[in-house]
Amino acid sequence: MIRLHRNYVRAVRQARAAQDLFGPLQNAIELEHSTIPPYFTATASLVAGKNEAIAGLIRAITMQEMLHMCIASNILIAIGGQPQINRPGFVPEYPGPLPMHIGGPDFTVGIEAFSRDLVKQVFMQIEEPEQPIPVHEKAEIEPEYETIGAFYRALQAKIVELGDGIFEPSSLPNQVVQGNWFPPDQLFAITGADSAVRAIDIIVLQGEGSSSSPYESPDVLAHFYRFGEIHAGRALVKTADGYAYAGAPIPFDDNGVYPLRPNCKLAQFTPGTQAHTRLAQFIYSYNSLLNALHTCFNGQPGRLDAAIGLMYSLRIEAVALVQTPVAPGSAQNVGPSFEYMQT
Amino acid sequence: MSYLDQPRLNFSGMFQADVSTINNDVTNYDNATFTPEKQKLSKDSWNPEGTGNFRLIDCQITGGVLDGKLLSSAQDDPAIGMLLENARERVYGKLVDLDPQQQMVSAIWGMQLRLSDGAGANLFVGDYEPAAFINLWKRQQHESAFHDQTLAAIYQSVLSQVAWKCDHGSPLLAALHAASEQGWLSINMNLYGYGRDPSIPRYTLGYVAGSIGPWRQGSPKHFVPGRQMIPAFSNVMTPAHGVSFFTCLVQEQRRRISADFGNCLPIEGADGGFQNLGRLLLAVDRGNPDGPLDTVSAASVAILGEVGYQNGNARAQQDWYARTAGIEDFDYSQLDPWIAQNIGSRPLLLLTPVAGSGEVPSSYQVLVQESFGGLYARADSIVYRLNPDETVAAEMYATRYGQPLATTLVFGTQLGLMPSSQPPTINTGKLDYPEQLNTDAGGRAQLRIHAPAAGPGNPRGYIDGQLYGIGWQMPAQPKDSPQNIWNFISLLAYDRVATPAVPAWYPDIQPILQQYANLYPIMSRHLIDLADYDSVVAHVRILDLAFSLPQSDPNHMPVTRDLSDAKRAMILRWLRQPGTDGKPLKGKAAAPRTAPPNEAEARPVLALDPLQTAGKTAVFMAYQAYQARQGGKP
Repeated sequence: MIRLHRNYVRAVRQARAAQDLFGPLQNAIELEHSTIPPYFTATASLVAGKNEAIAGLIRAITMQEMLHMCIASNILIAIGGQPQINRPGFVPEYPGPLPMHIGGPDFTVGIEAFSRDLVKQVFMQIEEPEQPIPVHEKAEIEPEYETIGAFYRALQAKIVELGDGIFEPSSLPNQVVQGNWFPPDQLFAITGADSAVRAIDIIVLQGEGSSSSPYESPDVLAHFYRFGEIHAGRALVKTADGYAYAGAPIPFDDNGVYPLRPNCKLAQFTPGTQAHTRLAQFIYSYNSLLNALHTCFNGQPGRLDAAIGLMYSLRIEAVALVQTPVAPGSAQNVGPSFEYMQT
Repeated sequence: MSYLDQPRLNFSGMFQADVSTINNDVTNYDNATFTPEKQKLSKDSWNPEGTGNFRLIDCQITGGVLDGKLLSSAQDDPAIGMLLENARERVYGKLVDLDPQQQMVSAIWGMQLRLSDGAGANLFVGDYEPAAFINLWKRQQHESAFHDQTLAAIYQSVLSQVAWKCDHGSPLLAALHAASEQGWLSINMNLYGYGRDPSIPRYTLGYVAGSIGPWRQGSPKHFVPGRQMIPAFSNVMTPAHGVSFFTCLVQEQRRRISADFGNCLPIEGADGGFQNLGRLLLAVDRGNPDGPLDTVSAASVAILGEVGYQNGNARAQQDWYARTAGIEDFDYSQLDPWIAQNIGSRPLLLLTPVAGSGEVPSSYQVLVQESFGGLYARADSIVYRLNPDETVAAEMYATRYGQPLATTLVFGTQLGLMPSSQPPTINTGKLDYPEQLNTDAGGRAQLRIHAPAAGPGNPRGYIDGQLYGIGWQMPAQPKDSPQNIWNFISLLAYDRVATPAVPAWYPDIQPILQQYANLYPIMSRHLIDLADYDSVVAHVRILDLAFSLPQSDPNHMPVTRDLSDAKRAMILRWLRQPGTDGKPLKGKAAAPRTAPPNEAEARPVLALDPLQTAGKTAVFMAYQAYQARQGGKP
């Protein structure tokens, strides 16, 4: 069970005014962002033309994490806050704990090539539901920790309690909802407590599923169970005694993964080498993306298209990166690094 | 005004041009014969997965000039040591060929540049207006690595829409801002030492040294209307005496001449170490020759100064280049007063002492001389893309010794560079433009070029449109004047295509996107398989955005900017008209052909010279034709 320290939930519950929710919502934005680098890297490590099904599954989840980041940002904007995206500390240190000590003191997340172990040990931990539908195993909650779901439920409750008065109609033009990048029933303007609650439901449901079903919608599995499928190598199906990963095979070709050195940092490479040049380019583009998103969520929502352009560009730049040996002749290739850089 | 004026910033560092290479061979545009084998790495296609990115790497302000004073450290001015950086909120610029048959005018699109103090402050941010390279020549004498690109060239343009930050404490930046109308800036980049060997660190990278100066409305954006130094060439890429084209700017009131040696001096290897040509001196000819000079006596010239490229050891020479980007400013206020009286009407020369002519040379060899009669005419922009029935206006400038000149320009016959030589006969059409024009008192004229509404008639079959080149002459200029062979306009005129109101994948869209899928596998292997209906319709939103962005946007699709307006509009129409299943229409795949095509349907066969499949083609062929007209003389 993915956990976060109870203090973070307590802070939400103790909020008295909109401003008291700025910090928790900024935490939510950082949390949703923090899952993207490891998911992105796992996908980028898969050789084109091989493991396409797995790549497609993880990419779809990554897209939803971006949606969640947008939703959390819009809620913060709607109550008068300002998302802080291109700041030191916004990007977690990988390997390291996720924001809000998600997963407890021993849970660290790194930047690594795809493996089924990574999916089990990290990705499924991140996405583990509040009340998992039993699929062969059970989990326990330690008393001093709560779940991500509990954090979002507390946020919902607090927003309802504080009421529509905390929402600032003047913030509406600054919310990022345009462009049809997400379905309008998933990304919509936050105008009051009702729409905020509905938006948070989407985050929780897409990540965890509901307490009665592993599905977020009739055909779409929640993240936890999609990762479960990848790990098990089979689709989830309903059986006589519940759910089981016993459906159609989801093949994995372990020759179809680039051997990335885990947790690369620019400082590990010699300036002037191909490895350094390409990693520096990737890091620069990543920071350009953070800059574009920050501008986008701080009064210039029209900049979203430029940010989307940067996301595609990052995918393209990762192609050459993951095929570059860490040093000439090495069997290990360079993995992405998501380092903050002031530009 | 331009980068050759003062105040001036100089920068140096590296650049990346991550060009894709499958499109270097025109035959790869033929969907019918294309095979995936052609997407493999080879010597001819040394970067098949290129992205098109063009960006600066580790470019630092290495020097500057303010009021005639050289600045070379942060103590001299805080701008020295700052970084010339790429955009910080959008993707890198793109490097784009005009056409596989005219790869000698590759242009940078969508690049934003900014001056950063490295600590989060941006002193200026501006958009680099698209510009094609010019003055290409074999500058690098020896390959430093396998398959090095030994050609070098310049990019000159302006930074527009410049946003300035003013509290920087730099007198140099303050003066530059004050001298620049609306804050716009002129920028020149000398590019050299480009690596094409995938195994070396310099792969897809090269060196850049450049300059930034003030710009004002009405000034050309892509050349300096100064004194044009035009060498004779022994072959298309090699100047007869080792030094290539360069430009000088005389400021008579200040008694100053600024000469740009940034791209004209040969280097030994990729890293920019100069070839030793001996002493190089800039001079004014005391006479008024109207023909080529070989050697001149010391008495017949007035020396302005010596080029500092050889001072000190190799390191010091490279420092000179980095600090100045090869620009020398000569003050002639204390020299022979004859210079000040006559420099505006006598040609400039680049000289080297004749061996054995004494410590104080008695005679000099002329390496480069100014255009005969000081006459020169140029189009500011040298690359155009034309849709059927579209008109472009090329700004022409005529000068005499760097001053505006009212004169007549005669425009050359157009070159249809890729005619079909076999039946069926195809009407290649022609572009409409005046045979001659008179420049006004400001030395300016607009050359309006119109593409006929019928288009060129698909003379090249599997590749859209026809290429044209338009050159010009000044009747006032002496016959046999050496010319800058790059000084002409390249145009790509698109075919007229009938596009259906309701286009569908198989008949209308797939043939276009298949070509891009073949030529640019980085996109199709890793993002969207443009040859595959399902992959394309899964990405309708991003394709709609990319195809509808203006060409100037770095995310514009296609990256190559080689799609006619009509075809682009058809693709957008197709993306926006879903069928009952909510997806763009698929249509029916063509039935396999059962009978041979009749003559009317026969595909045109391109008459390809062997050179034409090797990339750098059109200009070589035009030059060969020029040589033939000259009876074999260069």
